[in-house]
Amino acid sequence: MQQVTRPAVALQTDHRVSEPELIARVLSGDRIAARELYDAHSPRVFRLAFRLTGDADLAREFTQDTFVRAFSQLSRFRGDSALSTWLHRVTVTVVANAMRKVRRFRERETPLEDVHPFNGSDAGVDPVLRDRLHRAIDALPEIYRTTVIMHDIEGYTHTEIAQVLGVAEGTCKSRLSQARAQLRAALSDLAPGELES
Amino acid sequence: MKEDRFEALMRDAARTYRKPPEPDLDGMWSEIERETWAGVATTQPARIAARRFTTRASGWLAAATLVIGIGLGRASTTMHRNVPAAPQTAASVASVAPVRSDTAFDAPYNVETSQYLGQTAALLIALPAEARSGNADEKFVGRAAELLTRTRLLLDSPAANDTHMRALLEDLELVLAQVVRLQGEHDRTDLDLINRALEQRDVIPRLRTAVADISAN
Repeated sequence: MQQVTRPAVALQTDHRVSEPELIARVLSGDRIAARELYDAHSPRVFRLAFRLTGDADLAREFTQDTFVRAFSQLSRFRGDSALSTWLHRVTVTVVANAMRKVRRFRERETPLEDVHPFNGSDAGVDPVLRDRLHRAIDALPEIYRTTVIMHDIEGYTHTEIAQVLGVAEGTCKSRLSQARAQLRAALSDLAPGELES
Repeated sequence: MKEDRFEALMRDAARTYRKPPEPDLDGMWSEIERETWAGVATTQPARIAARRFTTRASGWLAAATLVIGIGLGRASTTMHRNVPAAPQTAASVASVAPVRSDTAFDAPYNVETSQYLGQTAALLIALPAEARSGNADEKFVGRAAELLTRTRLLLDSPAANDTHMRALLEDLELVLAQVVRLQGEHDRTDLDLINRALEQRDVIPRLRTAVADISAN
């Protein structure tokens, strides 16, 4: 089986086609169109999977899983929402399903200190406070953590999150508010009196 | 100022919290191609989906047979009376599973857990048939919602003190929550994800074991 590479896509697609047209081509068995859809959406799917898992191997696996499922179920995509919303919904579900099992292993085997290697520049933020915030995000209940990651970390709108998670927009806002309150509380002893709202 | 500092921290987190590496797009695509189109020059994804679903349906039938077999077997040894030769339907599990020796009735949580497990097994076994026929209707989903509520109550009860039982209840909570979401319009992806959750967590075999253990008591 010859692999469809990005250069192959570039050579064989001489103009930008609409997403519905690409979807129709994929459904007719056009792997070039499938690759084009994949190129358009996979970076963000991978980012979301990585932010939710914190593990490159798992993010890779879940991204692959998302697209294998998406292509096999594409005929069921009704177009009621954007394809990206549908894909991200599959991603969140795939990750949520798999991570419970993964977490059970990790709780037994992985020291917490190994979870957050960050080697970026400091940018004036107290590293202790940063580390505490990262751990506080990790410790949030799953529904809050997913909302915080999607909204505050990945920049999804409440409307997008609500569609992806299948909840009301108000629920999404409420979850974010609750999550932020818990994060402030978790940091309060490091910045006493400063972070309470 | 207070809010400013928190917002600054959150902006920093957007840069630093689990900062994603560059994805290997070509490498991931190779795997996706292999899984989606392997061995078939030009294959319609919809046909692949149909094939996978059929395979899973066969697995379901096998799992259903096992659960029903265990349930009937336990019932025949503990009830000390004849179980009617009921047709092998999912519903028979629900009626059989709660039956145990008198000792077990001393523990109210065991009674509740046993009934709950039997009814949940019945629902999950019936799911593929319901879904295939498009009958994942309000009544079916309502039953899943009721079982979901009982799952959460059991999770907060002494019944969840046992680590294996707690793990099973947690997985059932997730699966039942997904079934509840089938209300109204849904697509094959939803069903596929439920099937995957069931497969990944070995839910049916664990349910079978739990039902057998409680029945044995």
